[in-house]
This record gives sequence, C-alpha cells and structure tokens, in this order.
Amino acid sequence: MDPTFQNPVAPLPLDPEVGLRPTAPTGLAPAGVGRPRRRFARVVPNLVIIVSAVFFLAPLLTLARFSLQNVPTILLGWNTLFDKWSLSGLTKAFDDPNFWPALKLSLQLAVGTVLLTLGLLLPTAIWTHLRVPKARSVIEFMTVLPYMIPAIALVAGIKIIQPHARWFLNSDFSLIPFYVILALPFTYRSLDAGLKAIDLRTLVDASRSLGAGWGSTVFRVVIPNLRTAIISASFLTAAVVIGEFTIADTLLKETLPRFQATFTGREPQGGYGLNLLALIVTIGLFVTLSVLTKKRDPKRKSFARLAANAAMTPGNPGS
Amino acid sequence: MTDLVITDVVADGGRTAGAPPKARRDLAWLGLLPFFAFLVLFLFIPAISVFRNATNTEAGSFSFSAMKEAFTGQNLEAFKFSVKFSAGAAAIGVLFGTLLAYAAATATRPRWLRNLVTAFSGVAANMGGLPLAFAFLSLLGRQGVGTKILNWAGWDLYAGDFDLGNVAGLIVVYSYFNIPLMLLITLPAIDGLKQSWREACSNLGGTSVTYWRRVGLPVLAPSLLGGFLLLFANSFAAYATARVLTDNSKIVPLRIAFFLGGDVSIGEDAVGFSLAAWMIIIMVVCMSLYWMARKRAERWQS
Repeated sequence: MDPTFQNPVAPLPLDPEVGLRPTAPTGLAPAGVGRPRRRFARVVPNLVIIVSAVFFLAPLLTLARFSLQNVPTILLGWNTLFDKWSLSGLTKAFDDPNFWPALKLSLQLAVGTVLLTLGLLLPTAIWTHLRVPKARSVIEFMTVLPYMIPAIALVAGIKIIQPHARWFLNSDFSLIPFYVILALPFTYRSLDAGLKAIDLRTLVDASRSLGAGWGSTVFRVVIPNLRTAIISASFLTAAVVIGEFTIADTLLKETLPRFQATFTGREPQGGYGLNLLALIVTIGLFVTLSVLTKKRDPKRKSFARLAANAAMTPGNPGS
Repeated sequence: MTDLVITDVVADGGRTAGAPPKARRDLAWLGLLPFFAFLVLFLFIPAISVFRNATNTEAGSFSFSAMKEAFTGQNLEAFKFSVKFSAGAAAIGVLFGTLLAYAAATATRPRWLRNLVTAFSGVAANMGGLPLAFAFLSLLGRQGVGTKILNWAGWDLYAGDFDLGNVAGLIVVYSYFNIPLMLLITLPAIDGLKQSWREACSNLGGTSVTYWRRVGLPVLAPSLLGGFLLLFANSFAAYATARVLTDNSKIVPLRIAFFLGGDVSIGEDAVGFSLAAWMIIIMVVCMSLYWMARKRAERWQS
C-alpha cells in the first residue's frame, strides 16, 4: 500500500500547536492566527509538569532507596549508588512476631468493613432510588457529614462513650462500624453514581413482571449491573481501612499502621520498607480500580470522574 | 403467588403515573431506618458527646469555660500554628494545583499525559498518613537524599530553622496530597472555559491579560475559593502525617490526642473535648462554604 495514501474519510490530524479542532469553519486561515505566541506559551506549562513530576516521584524513589539499600546517606555517591541493594529490611519486618497479627487484624477489618458497608448501603441506596427518591438529597447530605467530623474528633467522641460500652469497644472489631463511617462519603457516592447510570426502575419492573421475587431481582439483576460501582466502593473502603491510623492509634488497637509506626521507631530500614509496601498496595488498589472501571465503561472517563468525586475531600490523608 | 406479583406491578405502575398513596410513601421512609440508626449510633452520638462534654462542668452544669479555655496558652498557640500552616498549605495547593491543572488541560503532546496526570492525582490526593511522612523524611529529612543533593548544589536546607515539622516543612509535605486534590477540583472548571470565550475576547481587541482578568479568573473564582477552603480543612484535620513529623503536640489534632491520651487531671479533659468541638465547628463552616462555592462553580460546567 502506498504509504503516502491518505484516507479521505479519516479525520484531519489535530494541529499539534492548537490541539483542538477549529470551533468554526476557519477557511484557509493558517493555524495559530490570533495566538502568535503559542509556541513560547507552552514553555511555562511544560516546566510546571516537569517540576511536578520531580516533586511527586522523588519522595517515592527515596523511600524505596532507604528501604532497599543499606548505605547511609552520608556515604551515598556515584560510586556507591548500586551497592548493597537487598530486601533484608523487609524480611526483618516479616520476622517480627507482631507483624503477622497486625496484618491479619487489618485485613480482617478491611473485609469486615467492606461487607458491612455493602450490607448497609446497597439496600439503602436501592431503596432510596426506587421508593423514596425524595430522600436522595437528605441521604447525600448525611453521607458527607463524616468530612465535617474528622477522625480525631470522632475518636474523641468514642473515648467519651467508651466507659458505657466497654463490652463493645474492647473488641478489636469494634473499629469496623467507625471505618464504615469514615469511608461513607466515598462508598455512597460510588454506589449512588452506579445506580444513576442504570435504569433501575425498568430493570426491577421487568424482572418482577417476569415473576422474579425481590431476592432474585436484587441478586441476579440489580447487583450484576452495579458490579463496577460495588468493586470501586470495596476498593476505596479497603484503601481507607488499610491506611487508617488516627482511630486505631488513639484506641490502642494493634493494626498494621500502628505496627508501622512503632516498628519504624525500632528498625528504621524495615519500617520504611513496610511503609513502602503499604504505599505500593494502596497504589495497586487504585490502579486496579482504574483499569476495572475503564474496561467496563469506556465512554466515561470513569476513574478520573470517580477520583474527582471521591476526592471531594479525601478522608484519609489525615487519618 | 402470581396474583401478588400482578398487584404489585399494577401498584408500581400507578405510582409512576401519579403520586403514591400517602400512607405507602410514609412507610417507604421506614426502609431508611437502618441507615439512619447506624449514623446515629456511630456518628451522631460520638459527635454530640463531644459537644456535651465540652460544655459541661464536673458538676454537670452547662458552662462555656472549657470552650473559652481552648483559646488560651498552649492551646491558642496550637490553633495559631494550625491555622498558619493550613492556610499556607491551602494557598500553595491552590496555586500549583491550578497551574498543573491548566498545564495538563492544555497539553496536547503526548496524548496520554492528561490521563496520566488525572489518574495519578486520584491516587496522590488519597495518599497520606504514615507512608507519606516517612517518604518525605527519606527525601528532606536531615539524612535525606534530597537534602544531600541540595547541599551539593550549594543550598544548605537546615542552615536556618527549617524542619519538616515546622510551617514550611508541613506545607511541603501536605502539598503532596493538596496539589492533586486541587487539580481534581479545578480541572472540570478549566475544561469549562470555552475556546469561544477566548476568541470572542480577542475579536473584541482584548489581550491575553484582559482575557484572564475579565473572563477566565472570574469564572474560575468560585472553584479557586472553594478549593482553598477544602484544602484548608483537609490540612487542618490531618493527623497521621503530622504525628510522625512533629515531636510535640503543637498542632490542634495532636493536642486533642494528647488530652485523649489520659495524662491529664479529671477537670482538664473537658479542654481536649472543647478543642475537638472547635475543630468540628471549623470544619462545618469550611465545608458549608465549600459546598456553596461548588454549587456556584458548577454553573459554568455542563
């Protein structure tokens, strides 16, 4: 095939300087008319992007170096740059007798929080959309309340209740309902958006008129249609739980973040390694989430939108 | 059985067409009861307890003295310090978040850049807590690699009174999640700036400066203001990162934790709760204003 052949139907290539298709017929006017300094104007934005890339990558790289390379910073130079890289710091953390119980507790809390969140929010969200659409704004308002009561203030309240509810709060799993609350803004939004995207009423009416009971309507019609929303809600919840420090620290529950904090005091290198791992796991959760949501729904930039929604306030930088 | 299904469908159809019977609609609200009960138990009761304990004396009578005491001595210092670095962190976050959002929105080459930036921002805006603090210690701590590189380049970071736990240090660290958060907030607003407005402006003889001063910034203003409030609240309430970076309880969340730690006499703990109460009040004010600004910003985005 002739390489110079151009498909006459193919869209015109975008003008790299302007980037956008002309908003109106521009006739023969050369690109860049009205914006002569365009080429120069890109210098500043490009600089911003490069500086940002350095700022956002540098801490991750130095964290990785500190965890994996056993060379003090003073001795670090061109000739020692590739010396003594190993996973020994991490294995030290794994050998600590307190590590596995802490990891187990954090994973149990994550699973418990996801289950309780879904068990509580799915019926509520479906019911609201079907039967009481008027309540939607009320519920939405309720779900952003945890932003206004930060974890440290919530735990102050828990401390007050503690003497009256020791039977409950003495258990490590008493953290679960509070973690459901912390993750509520993320999770409800994601489920609500999922329900908005499908024609719930028609689906339910169709399923019911075909003779399905409520149980099979919910489990075989509604939930499969909400798969993406449920997965993202679960991942966001897990990310919140795995990183939560404030409440666990104040209530002295030995979760993974608390172990990270104390272990780093004893064994800096191993501790930094653990933090690196925690970071990688969290990033992994988010990346998997973005891949999953993108595949299911190619039209929407789901992840960006989801992230923007979720990030109305991230609950967890603080927690 | 079949009968039941049919009546149900008819009832559903009837309801879609007209208003549902009042009794039935009232019953429908009952379905939300478990959710509200959960919120009351695990959110409202703790939050209200904070206010009750903050305004009660030991004898059990109502008093504002603890709420006032939150603004004296070391507590006042903590408030001042918190407000100072939170406002600084919010300002830096707004400035660089908007710049970065603009750069990403207008970048055409490479095409994946924008997606990468938004995806990374979604992750970084939610990053925080302990790992972030330790990452910055390894970069800009006294033994940090970044400190060493800067030193080699002739800038002794620790020559003055710089410390990651001071105002400047906390601002740098918090920028890591504030800038991406700001980017996510302003990106839709920047996308809302229509190319035709710029063209209209230059057709009327305006320069780039005129465009930004008379069109761009006024349209972006609610987003920028809302972003500032959100970032302020975000920085003000953050706990874990600051816990690692500062050694004494000089910011408000750490002071609350100090009082909760229980090393204070009986009467004193009301002060801790009043600090928490003030924190909730500040958060409510910031977030309400943020919501108002957001509603206003959405006017240009459709």
